[in-house]
Amino acid sequence: MRNSINRIIAGIALVWLGGSLNHLQAQSALDLRINEFLVYNDSNYVDDFGEHNPWIEIYNSAYNTVNIGGCYLTNDLNNPTMYYIPKGQNVTKIPQQGYLVFYADGHETRGIQHLNFSLEESKLIALFESNGKTLIDSITIPKGQKVDVTFGRIEDGSVVWDFLEKATPVANNQTKIKITSAEIIGQMDPTGIGMAVIAMTIVFSGLLLLYLFFKYMAKVWMRDRKKSKSITPDLLQVETETDEISGEVNAAIALALYLYRVQLHDTEAAVLTISKVSKTYSPWSSKIYGLRKNPR
Amino acid sequence: MEHSGSFFDFVFSHISQFLSYTAIANMTVGHVIMILIGLIFIYLAIAKEYEPMLLIPIGFGILVGNIAFYPGLQIGIYESGSVLNYLYFGVLNGIYPPLIFLGIGAMTDFSALISNPKLMLIGAAAQLGIFGAYAIALALGFSPAEAGAIGIIGGADGPTAIFLSSKLAPELMGAIAISAYSYMALVPVIQPPVMKLLTNKKERLIRMKPPRTVSKIEKIAFPIAGLLLTCFLVPSGLPLLGMLFFGNLLKESTVTKRLADTAKGPMIDIVTILIGLTVGASTQATTFLTAKSVGIFVLGAFSFIIATFGGVMFVKFLNLFLKEGNKINPLIGNAGVSAVPDSARVSQVVGLQYDKTNHLLMHAMGPNVAGVIGSAVAAGVLLSFLY
Repeated sequence: MRNSINRIIAGIALVWLGGSLNHLQAQSALDLRINEFLVYNDSNYVDDFGEHNPWIEIYNSAYNTVNIGGCYLTNDLNNPTMYYIPKGQNVTKIPQQGYLVFYADGHETRGIQHLNFSLEESKLIALFESNGKTLIDSITIPKGQKVDVTFGRIEDGSVVWDFLEKATPVANNQTKIKITSAEIIGQMDPTGIGMAVIAMTIVFSGLLLLYLFFKYMAKVWMRDRKKSKSITPDLLQVETETDEISGEVNAAIALALYLYRVQLHDTEAAVLTISKVSKTYSPWSSKIYGLRKNPR
Repeated sequence: MEHSGSFFDFVFSHISQFLSYTAIANMTVGHVIMILIGLIFIYLAIAKEYEPMLLIPIGFGILVGNIAFYPGLQIGIYESGSVLNYLYFGVLNGIYPPLIFLGIGAMTDFSALISNPKLMLIGAAAQLGIFGAYAIALALGFSPAEAGAIGIIGGADGPTAIFLSSKLAPELMGAIAISAYSYMALVPVIQPPVMKLLTNKKERLIRMKPPRTVSKIEKIAFPIAGLLLTCFLVPSGLPLLGMLFFGNLLKESTVTKRLADTAKGPMIDIVTILIGLTVGASTQATTFLTAKSVGIFVLGAFSFIIATFGGVMFVKFLNLFLKEGNKINPLIGNAGVSAVPDSARVSQVVGLQYDKTNHLLMHAMGPNVAGVIGSAVAAGVLLSFLY
């Protein structure tokens, strides 16, 4: 029994560890990926100078904007700081799940997106963090690169690379019909019964966990109270006895207190009486106060 | 003479232009129908006192949204740059529902649930309405994402319905929200016949043990444990559950009274006004009156009936395993839907019809607040599967 419990705990720990390693999300420059590149550009994507040059697409896999400014691009791991991507530029801010293209043409004077090395003479592409030491991502350029055919991840950010059917600079590498998870569920479970069973199980599990927690917490609580009652019978008796008063009695006491407080006043209510005043003269009936004086 | 002629031309052309801008010139039959629906909502809220806090803003919002206008003047709720469009941003992006959940958490007392934790399971069972409606919606030809958004009506929780539909099927959100709030208001009409049909007289007379006193430590532990246990399982429910339990901790910690008072007072009032008015205004006849909207209304009624069925039948099932004296009155099963506190009130009213001294309200509040948690978890599950 104990062994099986240990196994279950170990299994859960493994799942947790595996999951956490799989889904490390830094939400920073570490989320950037080299996503697609073209080495021989004959009649493909045109740069901002109207020329066909090799290009590299960087993809931001995070769900927030990441600034690539300050990072380095290189084609030599021994020289990680080969091209410094300037900071303080709007263009270097890559939106969530967005893209930025660099032109590897060796013409760095043409702007910040033009690198100081050319892909045609490169064997790899690497992206380093702003400290110039931490490697964010790298890809070895396979031999046999084709003219106007890009090499990239088959899906944005995925680990599998291949020649892509369509060049997709600043766009999703996945260009085939993509079936959403909702559509897959619709195909696999057209009646909705499978979904109902799975979802109800999850809802029950969530509330069952809460139920078990509070069921056993209450037991522990009651046991502690009994213990404390037996240890200090005189001092704590009064306190624990008051704890055991049922909800109805508490409600009655609360209502009585509320009514008592509502009926309390800082000053007593005034009593008005209508009876004849014995004194015949009163300022209230005096004509002197009733007449307007003439202005002087 | 020539001058006066051109002056009259000028006046007539501008009057005719003005007339083309009036609501009368742009009015359609759909607008009239929607205005009538809005007036019915306002009537029900004022004369019958059915959920007035919701039906007044929504009803008036329907009137606001269905004053026909000449398009392009940045007036309508769907026109970028209009004031209503800015207010609608909170609905479209699911901002208002979590804020409402914060207020609900700050005003909800979970004591009834903590004192008898098995009532939590009723809150889970009643979520059957969501998945029953999901299956029917699929059968009627709605896409899985649309069916999920429609199904959540069965959770009987307006903010959750708005939150989920804004993610899964934004184009159906108006109809789903109106349907959810309408049936929440009609809980006293829909639930009693189902409850009576599924129970016998002996079951209706079951007396439950009075709830035990709940300690302060348990009350403080509830929101913390509730958040950790439910959101570790369904993180997609975090916006709703996180805010619900946070609001409850503000209340139960007793050291943040000012924050709790703001959350359950001015803040929830402001958000309720904004969400009610904008959801109502989103029912512009030109986009709202479709066959799909009618289908959603019909499915909404079914989802409430199935939810009530699920809750009551689960209590009967649970009673098979409980000893005499510990049994649960199945009339509180309906309260598993999260229409707080209306469905708990229905349990009390129906219970009193059979025994004038058997007060079920406190017991029914347990599954009722569990229903709030259950529907938020269910929304999280749907979101993770269908988004």
